[in-house]
Amino acid sequence: MKTNLKISNVTKIYPGCVANDNVSLEFNSGRIYALLGENGAGKSTLVKILSGVIIPDQGEIYLNKNNLKLNSPLDAKKNDIGMVFQHFNLFETLSVFENLIIDSDGQREGLRGKIDTIMKKYNFSIDLDIPVLNLSAGQKQKVEIIRCLIRNPKVLIMDEPTSVLTEQETIELFQSLKKFSEEGILIIYITHKLKEVMQLCDEVAVMRRGKLVSVSEIKNENIESLANKMVGQNLKTIKKKKAKTSSDQLIKITNLNFTSEDPFETNLTDINFSVNRGECLGIAGISGNGQSELFQVLSGEIISEKNSIEFNNNYIGDLSPQERREYLMAFSPEDRLEQAAIPQMKIFENVALNNFKSSNFFNNGLINENKIKEHSKKIISDFNVNTDNIELKSQFLSGGNLQKLIIGRELITSPDLLICFNPTWGLDVGAINYIHETLIKINEQNKSIILISTDTDELLKLSDKISVIHKGKLSKIMNSEEVTSEKLGILMGGAD
Amino acid sequence: MIKIVKRGQPSRAIFFFTPVLAIFLTLVAGGLIFFILGFKPFEALKFFFIVPIADKYGFSELLLKATPLCLIAIGLSFCFKSNNWNIGAEGQLTFGAIVSGGVALLFYEQEGFYILPTVILAGAIGGMLYASIPAILKTYFNTNEILVSLMLVYVSKLILDYLVVGPWSNPEGFNFPETRQFSDSAKLPLLFEGLRIHAGIFLALAAVVISWFVFYKTYLGFQMKVSGLSLKTAKYAGYKGKKMIILVFLISGACAGLAGVGEITGPIGQLHREISPDYGFTAIIVAFLGRLHPVGIIFASLVVAITYLGAETAQIFMQIPKYTGQVFQGMILFFLLASDYLLFFKIKFIGLKK
Repeated sequence: MKTNLKISNVTKIYPGCVANDNVSLEFNSGRIYALLGENGAGKSTLVKILSGVIIPDQGEIYLNKNNLKLNSPLDAKKNDIGMVFQHFNLFETLSVFENLIIDSDGQREGLRGKIDTIMKKYNFSIDLDIPVLNLSAGQKQKVEIIRCLIRNPKVLIMDEPTSVLTEQETIELFQSLKKFSEEGILIIYITHKLKEVMQLCDEVAVMRRGKLVSVSEIKNENIESLANKMVGQNLKTIKKKKAKTSSDQLIKITNLNFTSEDPFETNLTDINFSVNRGECLGIAGISGNGQSELFQVLSGEIISEKNSIEFNNNYIGDLSPQERREYLMAFSPEDRLEQAAIPQMKIFENVALNNFKSSNFFNNGLINENKIKEHSKKIISDFNVNTDNIELKSQFLSGGNLQKLIIGRELITSPDLLICFNPTWGLDVGAINYIHETLIKINEQNKSIILISTDTDELLKLSDKISVIHKGKLSKIMNSEEVTSEKLGILMGGAD
Repeated sequence: MIKIVKRGQPSRAIFFFTPVLAIFLTLVAGGLIFFILGFKPFEALKFFFIVPIADKYGFSELLLKATPLCLIAIGLSFCFKSNNWNIGAEGQLTFGAIVSGGVALLFYEQEGFYILPTVILAGAIGGMLYASIPAILKTYFNTNEILVSLMLVYVSKLILDYLVVGPWSNPEGFNFPETRQFSDSAKLPLLFEGLRIHAGIFLALAAVVISWFVFYKTYLGFQMKVSGLSLKTAKYAGYKGKKMIILVFLISGACAGLAGVGEITGPIGQLHREISPDYGFTAIIVAFLGRLHPVGIIFASLVVAITYLGAETAQIFMQIPKYTGQVFQGMILFFLLASDYLLFFKIKFIGLKK
């Protein structure tokens, strides 16, 4: 039986932002549809409307010509619309089977048989009786998918499903999705990754600032054309010039170990690497494999043995972040809103968080507000932060502008080494380009970067050398020309 | 139809308006309560809020009550602004009073300019010591500071009880549960003949100025602000977040201790069982009513101080128990929390839709 899903003139307005502006779309089963757009383009709002999480201000949804009134996620489920969210909604301490029972309206009879059939059909192999916390991200996603399949959905919506997956898991996911589509399930795939759209989908709808920009066949598109539609302008492609090989060593990590008391943190074992001047070392890995701990050890939030970190011929393993800044190190943490900046504080107050001695932000224990403001204005103009009001609370900056502010704050000391952790996470293409250009510029000025990132493309683009972190251990360090994303994927999955 | 809409950003004007609204609603509700009890609401409210401060003596009493409230609330504002929930100011006040009272008793037959400063200092140190207990337990053993600081209130009151009944009780006092009277050198000087208002008010005013300066103008204050808003950011910036936690507790303990000194070396002049009508708890309301801002706290402490006085006049003239004062304090907090809803949401009246 064919499924036809129609969205007609859907509008959703939030204070100060039109999330969906009169969007109309039609989907037919047997094809895989991509819904493409930058962060904030309105694609999440649209699928949340389809799954009953958000109620639109105007507009109708029709499934096989029936007008649906979706007032809750339960309504969506009853109407055979299944959704797998980007963040898993599973109970970690319950077993896989128990998690599946919760969502099956209490019909336990024959449930296990049904699940077994589904798993056999699509080649899933998951032990139903172990707690969910022991599963890998890919397996957890499969549990979520099974949860939808139990209800024999007509529509399956996947929201940015590959952000937590390895290359191999992604390939497996795509195979399953194609199979579902052949079985007649209508698949809507939300992403901002262009490569995946090209690989997987048949038709693509692009959204920008709440509006539907285009609907087209994949065979008529390529990555550049889609990127331009997504951003709305012609993007220049950034290429890094190959660095002059320098042998002037800047930082050297020797036998660094970290054992955490917190069971949810990852221990670091035997970390060894060095970075030369003008070089960018990329550290790849699936999130949660010790990146955050490595960042903290390097920044001084976690103190280690004095001799384990040698920077510019000084042993600094036991120094605090503030003391390390005096040796010309700079840090840009992953979490912009909870760590790198304080949203409730004004822009210039956030600038004062990088308090190196020569800044004179604080004289004799008093705040030197004029100095801080002067500095903040310089950062805002030098780094293209899109505001002229340094008294603005930083929560009102977009992610891209906040990241520019943070990178600017860190670079204003002209440090010898910048350590950044997922610097473009969640940013739109324009901002990503800007940050990438800035990082390349740093290398050109013979300064070094340690780039910890979960975005493989970013690493391949910016790094001179690449290593992979898996379960707190670093792989051997490779020259980035010798590395492909497939090879990184294998290493990220833990193989040697 | 009424629709409730979330505000894009909390409104600055509403931020200062809601305390006023809360006080207004408290008056309305208070009038209603009096009416139900069979009094004329306006007359009763007049007895409660205007009669007590209508003369010079009443005004002096108002300042007398507002002084400890203001002092403690200033200290608490340091804790609350940095997300440390010190609920035990009453205990810190009591312990500060015990330590300073002990020192004052050492000098009970002596005169000298050095006695009063020593006694005041002892009170501040006592309050700090007592506040350091929840602070250290919180930072090094992950205990909950709300529970620890609150329970320590009762411990300090029992210690005071034991001391005034036992070892420190006045040998010539016919077994009354009180100590000797302190010598005049251990007492805060009175400001006016015949009025009870004493030099303690300068301690409170100094605390207001110093706290404003420290919090808004110094690096230390900046670090406290950052640590309070996000410990993760503090760690990243290289601040010593744990030390900041202990520091804000010490500041608030010192202020509460000083308030205790002000009570026993001012109007009371000795230690006995009832040195504070729960100033330490009421100051929590003052701190929030004053929006944790030094100037706001001055006004809030005056408003809340009236409820103490009003309760007494109401008891005398209308024969209603003085605990109505606490009812009013409770209502202020209740309405303040309720009207804070307006900070984040606005109420829209829209036409009936078909």
